[in-house]
Amino acid sequence: MTSEIDPIKVSVIGSRLTAISMEIGQTMLRTSRSPIFSEARDFVTAIFDSQLRMVAQTAYIPVLMGALPYAIRSIAETFAGDVSPGDVFILNDPYRGNNHPPDITIAKPVFHENEVAFWAVSKGHHADVGGGGVAGYNPGARSVWDECIRIPPAKLFDAGKPNAALWETILLNVRLPHLVEGDLNCQVGACTIGERGLSALLTKYGRETLDVAIEKILDASEQQVRAALEPLPDGEFSGERLIDNDGIDKDRMIAVRVKLTISGSEITFDFSDSDGQAAGYVNSTLPNTASSCYLALFMAVGEGVRFNAGAMRPLHVVTKPGTVVNPLEPAPVGGCTISTAQAIIEAVWLALAEAVPERVDAGWSRWCAPATMGMNPRTGRPFGDIHFMCKGGAGASMGLDGWDHLGTVICAGGLRAPDPELHELVDPFTVLQYEFWPDSAGAGRWRGGMGTIYRWRVDADGIPAANFGGGVHEVTAPFGLQGGHPAPPHELAIHKQDGETIAVDAESFYDLNAGDVFSIHQSGGGGYGDPLDRDITSVREDVINGLVTAAQARANYGVVVDPESFDVDEQASANLRNA
Amino acid sequence: MTFRIGVDVGGTFTDFLVADDDGDALLYKTSTTPDNPADGFFRGLNKAADDHGILLEEFLAQVETIVHGTTITTNAVITGNGAATGFLTTDGFRDVLNMRRGLKERYFEKYAPPPPLVPRHLIRTVRERVTVEGIATTPLVEADVRAAAEYFKQQRVEAVAVSYLWSFRNPAHEQKTYEILSAELPGVYLSLSSEVLPQIRVYERHSTTVLNAYVGPVLTRYLERLEHELAGSGFDGTLLIMQSNGGVMSPKVAQRFASNTLLSGPAGAPQAGIYFGAGHHFRDLITVDMGGTSFDVALIKDGVPSVTQEGVIAEHRLASPILDIHTVGAGGGSIASVDTGGLLAVGPASAGAEPGAACYGRGGSAATVTDADLVLGFLDADSFEGGEIEVDANAAHEAIRTHVAKPLNLDLVAAANGVYEVVNANMAAALNVVSVQRGYDPREFVLVVAGGAGPIHAAPIARELQIPLILIPRGSSVFCAAGMLISDLKHDYVRTYAQDIERADLEVIQRLFNEMANSGGQTLREEGIAEDKISVSYSADLRYVGQFNEVEVTAGEFWDPSGGLDQLVTQFHARHDALYGYAMAGTPVEVINLRVAARGATEKPRLTGASSAAEPAKFLPAKRRQVFFDGNFVDTPIYDGLAMHAGDHISGPAIVAQPTTTIVVPPDYDLACDKFENYLLYPGSEDVDELCARLAHGE
Repeated sequence: MTSEIDPIKVSVIGSRLTAISMEIGQTMLRTSRSPIFSEARDFVTAIFDSQLRMVAQTAYIPVLMGALPYAIRSIAETFAGDVSPGDVFILNDPYRGNNHPPDITIAKPVFHENEVAFWAVSKGHHADVGGGGVAGYNPGARSVWDECIRIPPAKLFDAGKPNAALWETILLNVRLPHLVEGDLNCQVGACTIGERGLSALLTKYGRETLDVAIEKILDASEQQVRAALEPLPDGEFSGERLIDNDGIDKDRMIAVRVKLTISGSEITFDFSDSDGQAAGYVNSTLPNTASSCYLALFMAVGEGVRFNAGAMRPLHVVTKPGTVVNPLEPAPVGGCTISTAQAIIEAVWLALAEAVPERVDAGWSRWCAPATMGMNPRTGRPFGDIHFMCKGGAGASMGLDGWDHLGTVICAGGLRAPDPELHELVDPFTVLQYEFWPDSAGAGRWRGGMGTIYRWRVDADGIPAANFGGGVHEVTAPFGLQGGHPAPPHELAIHKQDGETIAVDAESFYDLNAGDVFSIHQSGGGGYGDPLDRDITSVREDVINGLVTAAQARANYGVVVDPESFDVDEQASANLRNA
Repeated sequence: MTFRIGVDVGGTFTDFLVADDDGDALLYKTSTTPDNPADGFFRGLNKAADDHGILLEEFLAQVETIVHGTTITTNAVITGNGAATGFLTTDGFRDVLNMRRGLKERYFEKYAPPPPLVPRHLIRTVRERVTVEGIATTPLVEADVRAAAEYFKQQRVEAVAVSYLWSFRNPAHEQKTYEILSAELPGVYLSLSSEVLPQIRVYERHSTTVLNAYVGPVLTRYLERLEHELAGSGFDGTLLIMQSNGGVMSPKVAQRFASNTLLSGPAGAPQAGIYFGAGHHFRDLITVDMGGTSFDVALIKDGVPSVTQEGVIAEHRLASPILDIHTVGAGGGSIASVDTGGLLAVGPASAGAEPGAACYGRGGSAATVTDADLVLGFLDADSFEGGEIEVDANAAHEAIRTHVAKPLNLDLVAAANGVYEVVNANMAAALNVVSVQRGYDPREFVLVVAGGAGPIHAAPIARELQIPLILIPRGSSVFCAAGMLISDLKHDYVRTYAQDIERADLEVIQRLFNEMANSGGQTLREEGIAEDKISVSYSADLRYVGQFNEVEVTAGEFWDPSGGLDQLVTQFHARHDALYGYAMAGTPVEVINLRVAARGATEKPRLTGASSAAEPAKFLPAKRRQVFFDGNFVDTPIYDGLAMHAGDHISGPAIVAQPTTTIVVPPDYDLACDKFENYLLYPGSEDVDELCARLAHGE
């Protein structure tokens, strides 16, 4: 269609579509059961048009930003010619277009004059999806069947009527049916809210005008991305990062390698040289791999971009089937949104830093903390939770210290730390310590954000914990950039009541009992620029505030600060700095 | 003669509404004097005294009540100039305050987080722990409190906030800490979480308690000085301070709960809406206030404004109940620009008051909403702001041409109209958030528009949401001051009681409700409110078991435990469905917080009609100019609003101009001057009397 449209109308319609997508998100945020949705905001909402193009999106967890197109295409293709008003579709199978099993996709078609005009879509991380995992994470999985009940594209509601057999099948296969049922309802309700807004928009503007406007909105985003890519130097750049282990072979690290080709206003992410697919659950589905690339790129150069199908046009992701970034069925994939996504983003950043170091952050602290599940004897109710208090620091960048306590890079700052009191209210745990970890940040002219100490006592028996993520080794800890130092690796341990201490590895299961203390020191972010160039006042302030010890100030920053009076020895500092 | 005065100190202007006991009201505006806001305050009072031909002392002696809205605390937080504040919290949790729940809102931008209210070295921890059940498993180590006090003394802090884990379940440790600190730190302002906000959620409670400490000394100093100066000038009436919750309080209470003034600036608007709506028995209202940089929207259902606990100031959380005023970056100074994708955006960036719109000729070159309004003929270059400001129409044209028309390949007028439409759509979206998104149908509401640029944009916004009637008070330029003057005293109380509804102990609930109601009554009595003017309303925050957010449902003014909690639960299901698109009847529900609002009714001025003294009625002959409507410039009559009287009626297209307010009447709208000499703007196809009758609620 080449109809002309008033550019003003395009702007207005664009804002309305974004607002509706946000409204779907707000509904999920306020009504969900699982703390993973409502406290940590691990979900994404979007609107697709009849051609299955993503026209607006709200990604609370940005690594989900590119994961929906695959899922919605899979649903629409499966049910081509069989979509009716009142239908609601569900999907979680990673080999049918979903990113990873716990993130269940719900989609509701929006009809106008007897045709599908839009899809209101939400995707979020459920407290349980069956299989052998905890809250969806099974570091021991050897195939996708170990990870979940596999739900292909299916009708959860058929013309407004619940598909009772499917509901029951799902709820019978999960350990926390009340949470899952509540959250599926929350997703359906949120899509219904989206449908309400989209119907109003269709009534106001008519289908034809909206179609033309959407065309323009997508073109505008493509233009924005091209304008952002154009100034980057053309060339080939490369990056490599390691995944700590795959949960099965604890002694083997797995490499993600990217070759970045920037050419004019196009960019290609080629992962062909990455390691082959792993035995364990760190294999990344294509939706997750692509999504991770988009996130890595936009965190560097994406300010102001409206992310939709148009924005993806200049971006190309190349993978080889059978590798860790595009596995073959039935490889397990549950850990990919965390462990593998982190490595992909870091590898892309290292490559980008060869081209435009001033736009790239130093490494962010990787996620490494457990999911737990079980019965809370105090409340008499089952619970399932991920310990999202455990958030490390963000990497520093040119001109800015890293942000403290932001957590894994896949969330880009959108992962909200849960409330410790609500956590103790629902779960059988007592939080003993939750504060910054001194000296946890990588030193630099701009230092990394602070990492976190998170210690908690278990108040019930028989609690399985799946500790997932990475960053427990020197080579997987947050990297520094432009002379900035890396941050230290995490330190995790379980102190049993009998005095025994168990070292905790990434991608591993542990059994917890009353009296056990789980202790996590989550690293800060990497530093940026030579720490000897950091201004002395900032170093002194960090010492006064107890974020950097006097010993580290001296060793890393060449600043001699008296730990009692906080006086700086100017001469001694100058000597150290000029040495 | 006796007087009641509303004084609203805003960022730019200090507004006054002086009501006498004949029901007449005079409006004044003076420039705000940020260094000492009391200067602007007294200048206005002097003007009022002058107009009555008496000395300030004689005038003030006749003033019964002054209701004062102040932004002194707001400014202290925004500029980082609050008190040097120390913070005491539970050992092991030193950084929960400054972690701010670990959020960075704009993922794809590189920027620094807000500076902390309390630097880490002034956050000290104390060994103590209370459990989820309220049991003190680690007793308070008093030596830790004393050591912290010593450090605070040495650091010369002016205020200390105390917030421990689970202190709302068991405040004993905070109370003991208070005793120690009052002895060790005489003259230091103390703020306890178990007093300020005894409610679950650590960061939100910490932040609110710390904000209270941070602004406490600032407000205390200001109020002591103001009271002193007022007393010295002969005032012995009642001074009341506006709060963020839409109520007022005595200076004494304000000093203890200083944070309750933090978001009080816009809180007068919904109150004013209620007042101006009352004349027509309108009880379902949406109030809007369009300023230079922002657009504030509030919804009032059945005469009660919506309340929220989700306040934010300078990126710090304020979790006490405040009026739910939704703000978006859309104002006269909002900047229009075309992004790299070729789409037009208006706001949230603003040219503000300085340099302001391009047409102000103060060095601003950005294209703003005001510039567009000028190009379209809605504003008159010759009598801008009542002729007070000389404007440069050419600069406006140039800005729109350069920043909007050229990049979009449109002509000047189409570009200006585009800015007008986009900002209107942004404002309509803000109305959608408070109405449709919260389960209310805007077609049942009256839009009440405060002064300034709002009435230029009101009709298209109302049309978009099918709001049938717009009410524009004649005294709309001092809208918030009017709202303050009619506000009641109001104190909010909360107690967390987290329990399944089925297991909830009605006796405990009764006790907590009683405690809160008693505190409210006692505070109001101390503020001089008679027993028969005190009323109390009860509500509770409920959620489905396992949810993480609550919905507040109201039990009304009578709490009758005999019926159990069924009525609240029924209401909860219905409200959840309206808000979120579904309800789950039969699913277990839990209560989280219990709330009481205690209200002390104040004497309301009888505002029969308002005339403006500061803006003397210049009887301008109706003139005509070219104004852009529906794609064309139309020769349009311009009426002098001050010359209109009750019963006057005009049909669009028309402009009604007052010195600081311009009303645009589109071709399909009519405007009537009602019996209070306020304006009613409505679709010309409607009969205004029928419309008013339809939207009115019983007597």
